[in-house]
Amino acid sequence: MSKTKIVGQSVHRKDAARKVTGRILHVGNIEMPGLLQVAVLRSPYPHARIIGIQKSRAEAMEGVVLVLTGAEIAAMPDVDPYFGPAFKDQPILAIDRVLHVGDPVVAVVAVDRRRAEDALELIEVDYEPLPVVLDVLEAAKSGSPLVHQEFKPAGVFADLDHMEAGEKSNVCYHFKLRTGDVEAAFREADRIFEDTFTSPPAQHMPMEPHVTLVYLDEDEKVNVWTATQSPSFVRTQLSTTLGLPMNRIRVRVPYLGGGYGAKLYGKLEPLVALLALETRRPVRYALSREEEFQTITKHGAVARLKTAVKDGVITGRRCEVFFDTGAYADIGPRIVHKSGYTSAGPYRIPNVRIDSFCVYTNKPPAGAFRGFGVPQVIWAYESQMDIISRELDIDPVQFRMHHALEEGEPFATGTPVHSFGLKESLEQAAEAIEWSGPRPQNNATKVRGKGIASGVKAVLTPSISGAVVMMNSDGSVNVLSSTVEMGQGSDTVLAQIAAEELGVCFDQVHLVQPDTDVTPYDTITAGSRSTYHMGNAVRMASMKIKAQLFGVAARALEANLEDLVARDGRIFVSGSQESGMSMRDVFLAKFGSLGTTIIGEAIFEPRAIPTDPETGRSEKCTEYWFPSASAAEVEVDLETGQVKVVKFLSVGDTGTAINPRHCHQQLLGAAITQLGMTLFEEMVFEEGQLLNGSLLDYQIPSVKDLPEHFESILVEVPHETGPFGAKGVGETGTLTVSPAIANAIEDATGVRIRDLPITPEKILRGLAEKDPKPGRAEVPQ
Amino acid sequence: MKPAKFEYKDPHSVEETLDLLKQYGWDAKILAGGQSLVPMLNFRLASPEILVDINRLQDLDYVEEKDGKLAIGALTRQTTLEFSETVKSRCGLLADATELIGHPQTRNRGTVGGSIVHADPTAELTAIARALDAEMVIRSKDGERTDSAEDFFVSVMTTNLEPEEMLVEVRFPIAPPGSGWAFEEFVLRHGDFAVVGVTAAVTLNSDEVCTDARLAAIGVDETAFRDPALEEIIKGEKITDSVLKELGSQLSEKVEPFDDLHASAAQRKHLVGVLAQRALQKAANMAVENLRGEN
Repeated sequence: MSKTKIVGQSVHRKDAARKVTGRILHVGNIEMPGLLQVAVLRSPYPHARIIGIQKSRAEAMEGVVLVLTGAEIAAMPDVDPYFGPAFKDQPILAIDRVLHVGDPVVAVVAVDRRRAEDALELIEVDYEPLPVVLDVLEAAKSGSPLVHQEFKPAGVFADLDHMEAGEKSNVCYHFKLRTGDVEAAFREADRIFEDTFTSPPAQHMPMEPHVTLVYLDEDEKVNVWTATQSPSFVRTQLSTTLGLPMNRIRVRVPYLGGGYGAKLYGKLEPLVALLALETRRPVRYALSREEEFQTITKHGAVARLKTAVKDGVITGRRCEVFFDTGAYADIGPRIVHKSGYTSAGPYRIPNVRIDSFCVYTNKPPAGAFRGFGVPQVIWAYESQMDIISRELDIDPVQFRMHHALEEGEPFATGTPVHSFGLKESLEQAAEAIEWSGPRPQNNATKVRGKGIASGVKAVLTPSISGAVVMMNSDGSVNVLSSTVEMGQGSDTVLAQIAAEELGVCFDQVHLVQPDTDVTPYDTITAGSRSTYHMGNAVRMASMKIKAQLFGVAARALEANLEDLVARDGRIFVSGSQESGMSMRDVFLAKFGSLGTTIIGEAIFEPRAIPTDPETGRSEKCTEYWFPSASAAEVEVDLETGQVKVVKFLSVGDTGTAINPRHCHQQLLGAAITQLGMTLFEEMVFEEGQLLNGSLLDYQIPSVKDLPEHFESILVEVPHETGPFGAKGVGETGTLTVSPAIANAIEDATGVRIRDLPITPEKILRGLAEKDPKPGRAEVPQ
Repeated sequence: MKPAKFEYKDPHSVEETLDLLKQYGWDAKILAGGQSLVPMLNFRLASPEILVDINRLQDLDYVEEKDGKLAIGALTRQTTLEFSETVKSRCGLLADATELIGHPQTRNRGTVGGSIVHADPTAELTAIARALDAEMVIRSKDGERTDSAEDFFVSVMTTNLEPEEMLVEVRFPIAPPGSGWAFEEFVLRHGDFAVVGVTAAVTLNSDEVCTDARLAAIGVDETAFRDPALEEIIKGEKITDSVLKELGSQLSEKVEPFDDLHASAAQRKHLVGVLAQRALQKAANMAVENLRGEN
């Protein structure tokens, strides 16, 4: 491949200056004459039947425009009162039952937010409490109270088409993988290791909470401004919900204040669209931080691993993973499928049996979260890799290297892996933490240790990205893409790809923000897919423009097409840049007039072979893999149990880095997210009530809680079908953080923690159990 | 969320403030730095009818040495404690511990009087006030009274202030020669509310024997915990590991903390003993250094 000019450069973010000067558009800042505001009355019960709602006092309040209930929505002709990406299981407002604390029950629309909130206090709802199921393992048992009585597949995603209603249970999806004979492996094993690892439900915590604004324009078209990662999906959802043609709905997305998976699929949009249609006025609903906790969460998970070892080698592994998807499935089934097939790890294990379950409970719904369920399974298998290697007295890095899959070897699904920089990532991580170096120094009350972990995630496949690229006669370029700029830097990276392919300056490329009237379909901005998928679409569309430009230039310059080069805004015969043509000249030659445009469009849609429903096997379950490794050095205070991560390395195989600085930022940002999940974050429930539903009690790390030494390393194994060899990087840094830290803690203290988050109290308890010395202060229970 | 409706008053003098408090009693709430009250209003955990904003009372923002004490006006921002030369030289514990109170941004607004009156059971200033026997100067239309920290703090977020009363000044003793101090805190994240905290101040004589010791803990009781009997354990002694250990374990046994989200009662009992030993050891080391510097 010839050397690139803009791809591979750490150019500055397109949106940086506007963001730091506060000039960027967010949905919350849009002003509109007559704009109304929304407040929602939510369920105080984890499960209850709605007996009656008295709302007349609220309706009579001055400034209140509309008070709407779920039963009223259910009675509306042409409106589908249920929505959801996997199952149509979520009512826009509760109709007859509430299924979790915080379930929306009554919406109030008023002239301002305070009055809307005041009106909530005037609404009375009578409930009859129903049996509750909260624990994911209890919920999965037959005979547990049922959260839902029937399953209605949404039929939106081809890869979920095989889902069908089974017997009545809270398990709404079960992924199975069967490779080899795992029972035989256990029979023949020297050693068998059985461990259970848990991750709690947690929060995405984007700085900008969910917010949606809907108005009807002069043509009565439903105009939606919304903070979503999936504008195309939202349009489809609203078309179904409202019974309107897709071209009667226009969804626009300005810049997001973070997403992390929280803002995927339909969230507030169905409700706000209905409120705007009912009031015939612009309506905005902006969630409070407290409502965020009740709207979408990261799946809590319980992972049971049973591993057979013979002659120091893993010969079989059985994984049972239970994902708590809460009261509504959201995208849970797809998470269970995509993370399910990676649950045994990126290792050469001949006999594997995986059962991964998506389970309803009476908790707030769980959906996509940066890593899509994979950090939960890596937490399990990478913790156990260390448990096994320590028990067998094998170096944990060597143990992983010995089992790590190499180019062309089959994954547990049978899919051969390609562009798979797992071993390289492990080696880089080990070197950076000085794995083979001397042990860190301890003092009387503080001990240090090192830990390492590796893992892999596969990109969501199949999925589709469409792009339109327009070149103007001055050489400037508009890229029409539905990829959402949510802080990850997609505007910058897509502009780099277009500029590289078209041979124009980076500054000449402008990204048109998602607008379903203008920008083509894109599945979602999520799952580390945009650089690869939208990047390929933009590149292919750019190639089509270039072909037209070259056709004109070849005639004008009397040159062969294959000798032409586009660079620095000129087209010329390779080696003689001065004698070529400017873009302007090419447009004049083609059209005889300026102000004209050349358009290229492309749809990139890599296919997968669906995994077999009984064996989970597929010759191609994914388009690409992104391996990760983390290395940590920790210091543990033996008297207080406090863990300080003194050194942390986040290593990821990014393919060719289009923008290396962005890749580093993604690896570090993702690691910070997961540092919180490892040491602090947990949504704590008591009888279905969330106890820490605000930022006062729910703790995320601040910049002062980061490791003193905190770095990232890019392992660039080019992907043959990636744009310029690139892969995705958005989730890579989340994957292996927690087990690396837990492994370092065991190295320091001998204490193995199996339940996230790793709190000081758990460490003190572990120390006391390990070494019950008299004189050591009493054991917290 | 947004606060419920309230009436806003911004008096220009202490007298005017006291008039308002007299007039509205329990219906009025004083707004000082707003670092606790404003979130409570937003969550609608507090819905006072009248909000009395005292931020115009600049004459309550001062630090001065008065009658052998360090007098601090109620409206003094917490940041002032951190940077005031007078505070550093007269009551170094206050200056040193202030960085544990929230974050620079909250300390720029948060006031000394506000924190004391709010009486959060994990507020650092309540522990220092208890340990050092600070005096509270309280005014109402009926006049002025002075109260001890011991009597002032009643229980969780409750003081003995009457609704028509207002805290106007807090007086701290000036650190004697040969003294040292420390504030040790256990937090999960930088700037959090303390799970448990212990402050210690000791005075040593030229033989490094402890002549005075003060110890107060937060996060283990409804208000800052202090027990003079524990302090007696090290008075008249050289501060050794065994003395500290004895004190730490007695303190752990004496406190009766509560479970909450951030730590169990057992964890708090354990931590308070560990932190007391660490605080006292640090205070003693500092006192020894100060003694050597003074000689």
